[in-house]
Amino acid sequence: MPRNLTHQAKSLLLVVLLLLLWWFTPSFVKRGTEVIFSEFQAPAWTGMSYLKDLRSYWTNWGSSKEDLISAGMNLSRLNAAYVVRNQQVDSMERELRRLEGYFNLPSYPEYQYEVARVIKRDLTAWWQVLVIRKGINYGIEPGQAVIFSGGVVGRVQSVGAYTSTVELISSPHFRAAGHFESDDRPVEFRGGINPGLRAPTGTVSTVPVDLVASRKDPVRLTSSKLGGIFPDGLTIGWVYNLEPSSDGLFQTGKVMLDPRLQSLREIAVLIPIETRGDPGR
Amino acid sequence: MNVQPPIRKSHDRLEPQVNSRLYLIYLVIGVCMLMLIGGLGYRQLFQREAHESAAERQNYRRILMPGPRGIIYDRDNTVLVGNRPLFSAVVYLNELRAEFREEYYNIVRQKRELGLKPDRFNTNITARKNVVQRYMNRLNQLLERKEEVDSKQIERHFSQSLLLPFPLIKDLPEKEYARLIAQVPLDSPIQILSGIARWYPFGEAAAHTLGFVSDSTEFPEGTVPGDQLLTFRNAGQIGRSGLEKHFNERLQGETGGEIWSVDPSGFQYERVVHETPGKGQNLQVSLDIDIQVTAEKAMGEKIGAVVAIEIETGEVLALVSKPSYDLNTLSPFISYKVDEEIREKGAWLNRATQGLYPPGSIFKLVTAIAALRAGVISAHTEIDCPGYKIVGKRAFHCHRLSGHGPEDLIGAIRDSCNVFFYTCGTELGVWGIANEARRFHLDQPTGIELPGETTRMLVPDPEWKASRFYGEGWFGGDTANMSIGQGFLLLTPIQMATFAASIASGTTFVKPTLLHDNPEIQKRDPLGLAPEKFALIKEGMRLAGERGTARLAGKPGMPVSGKTGTAQVRKDGKPTTLAWFVGFAPVQNPRIAIAVMIEGVPEQETNYGGGSTAAPIAKIVFEEYLGM
Repeated sequence: MPRNLTHQAKSLLLVVLLLLLWWFTPSFVKRGTEVIFSEFQAPAWTGMSYLKDLRSYWTNWGSSKEDLISAGMNLSRLNAAYVVRNQQVDSMERELRRLEGYFNLPSYPEYQYEVARVIKRDLTAWWQVLVIRKGINYGIEPGQAVIFSGGVVGRVQSVGAYTSTVELISSPHFRAAGHFESDDRPVEFRGGINPGLRAPTGTVSTVPVDLVASRKDPVRLTSSKLGGIFPDGLTIGWVYNLEPSSDGLFQTGKVMLDPRLQSLREIAVLIPIETRGDPGR
Repeated sequence: MNVQPPIRKSHDRLEPQVNSRLYLIYLVIGVCMLMLIGGLGYRQLFQREAHESAAERQNYRRILMPGPRGIIYDRDNTVLVGNRPLFSAVVYLNELRAEFREEYYNIVRQKRELGLKPDRFNTNITARKNVVQRYMNRLNQLLERKEEVDSKQIERHFSQSLLLPFPLIKDLPEKEYARLIAQVPLDSPIQILSGIARWYPFGEAAAHTLGFVSDSTEFPEGTVPGDQLLTFRNAGQIGRSGLEKHFNERLQGETGGEIWSVDPSGFQYERVVHETPGKGQNLQVSLDIDIQVTAEKAMGEKIGAVVAIEIETGEVLALVSKPSYDLNTLSPFISYKVDEEIREKGAWLNRATQGLYPPGSIFKLVTAIAALRAGVISAHTEIDCPGYKIVGKRAFHCHRLSGHGPEDLIGAIRDSCNVFFYTCGTELGVWGIANEARRFHLDQPTGIELPGETTRMLVPDPEWKASRFYGEGWFGGDTANMSIGQGFLLLTPIQMATFAASIASGTTFVKPTLLHDNPEIQKRDPLGLAPEKFALIKEGMRLAGERGTARLAGKPGMPVSGKTGTAQVRKDGKPTTLAWFVGFAPVQNPRIAIAVMIEGVPEQETNYGGGSTAAPIAKIVFEEYLGM
């Protein structure tokens, strides 16, 4: 009977042994396993995103010639408008450099913009991350700023060989230094718990008491260069109301974030030029 | 006999063949179910309250927040003490226990590999220091600093206030605050807290009077519910000296707080209770910051005190003690270096209320009033001053060695003639002088609203001397010395200021106050001197201010009444002088009374005198108050 018992409990014992083994496995092995698992998954995510692009391509292939000509003309107009805009920006940058030199002002740190396609969104109440289609192969590193045309997207959380994970500013684990437009005192921005199907929000705290925000005159919260992550002045969100905090020295408020954060398709990673090595493309 | 085997009929049911291994599984499942049911029942029935409490403790966190302290204003509503934001980087040692344990085992392993026997107590201390230093290094890396943690502070915090944040860097500048906000992850043990620090817009001005605060978690719990929850107390502030200490309860805010529901990792999810802390009451004090600053500037680098009192109300307009310190260097905490600097220059002492000095010749006014009241002298009394007076077997000299010649009371006050007052004092006797001094409350603290006012002031008499010097008798020379404010007499500058105010108002005591518009009505006792006799004292002081020893306290168009004094003392074993001035202005209907005391510095061979050193300082204060 005891022999039978051992034989019968063999599978159970095996499971227990495996669990114990995992329990006592050093954390670096676990971390390595996680990374390898992620790296194995990444080509699947990347492949899926390429397939989506292909599907989109074939969908357009089926369009009529008139539609394509019309779309082409629209694209040409947009391109022309962007060329003009680029020229204006170049001219303003030159003027800025001239004035900085004239007043002996330090130049803003410069960044290389690495545009990347979003291949996966993982948006829950507890974490909000995007996976993008570029990784170490493009010189992306953890902690770098991620932006889009509407302002701040978030920060690179982890980087794989060909993909990176970006933590959104709407994530409850996100915190950044910011300041209000036309006021340079730093304030603290935090993401919030943002269940889907609702415009994302965050909170701002340590706001000086002399600042006023109302539904009629909302104030724009922008990134602060003091934090050392984001360049100055990128939109984080809008604040419509500020309440005095408990200590009487500050105010707190809810920050309405850009709803497009939940449907982003392309973003740009800001890679500081001085830290960028060989992109290795 | 042929036994037939039983024939199995087709309708007989087959007994099921039970696999014996199933019994084992049934047994295991049965035991497990019993354990589960039993365990569940035990927990539901017997441990319900404990689990409810534990669930509450796990799911909720209570944070107590002291209210901001009230603001201190001067009599013209200028802010003397305000609040400013304070950002600091902290860690909760309680949350680092696993890391402490891991570091402890690492150290033990390393020591054993080296063949050393680890000492458990010291290894624990080292482990804790290493872990906290690791977090400090992280901050050093982000902020380009080179801070080190103090092992003693960690141990003290670990044993006494484990649940409270341990400060790594206090008072972060805005730039560093922003950097940490952006670069320290939210789930890091390093937390960035915002708080309040005291702010002193006038720096050194009135430092001893205003006082300072220090961080403390000793504040009332307030009305926030949830005593049983895991509670964090934000550090508040408690007054440690000066007005901050005396009016601590009034200035301290009402405690508020929050209760948060948290997820299993302790992340704040939803605020379920919120009580806003209330700000403490503001305080309007009697100081006039313009007069205060003027008096401090007038003193320059000299050591001493100035007290200016509004005669009608007893409100203190300025209370200076030098050397002083910048209150902003004491907020939010007093560093060892700052403490050493202040200690070295002897600036912790509030010389105005805690410094004890022989009053010198300004005490002659007490002797004069006592002599007039006792009838020892009158308006017509003239005493010849040959430059000395023999008392017992010893010659007591006048400050003018050639003598003043015949002097009446007015002339004696004007010229500060020692011989006149030796004569008055010895004829009056020690008890006459001592009792008169006590009538002016010179033997007791003034009761000003400042903590630490000395109670060791001394108006000596024979009984005191006998008890102090093992039965030694009182000599005539002691009386002579006392009559000119020397000898054993020890008084504070604020006492002398109240004395000047009481003479100006014709009373025995003007209680000084640091509260503006204090509703307490002062009861003042009359001087008890006939008007014509009192006029002699006032005339002597007026003449002293006009052309006597105190003439540098006034100027044309700004007559003052005053009396100077220059006391001989020994400081650090070396002889030096104390320069005194007391007086009031205007001469008719006086509004302000001032006492100035300047200590000589033996090493610098200063030759301070009441008329030459103290009176000019008083003049500047009079000018500021009278707008002249």
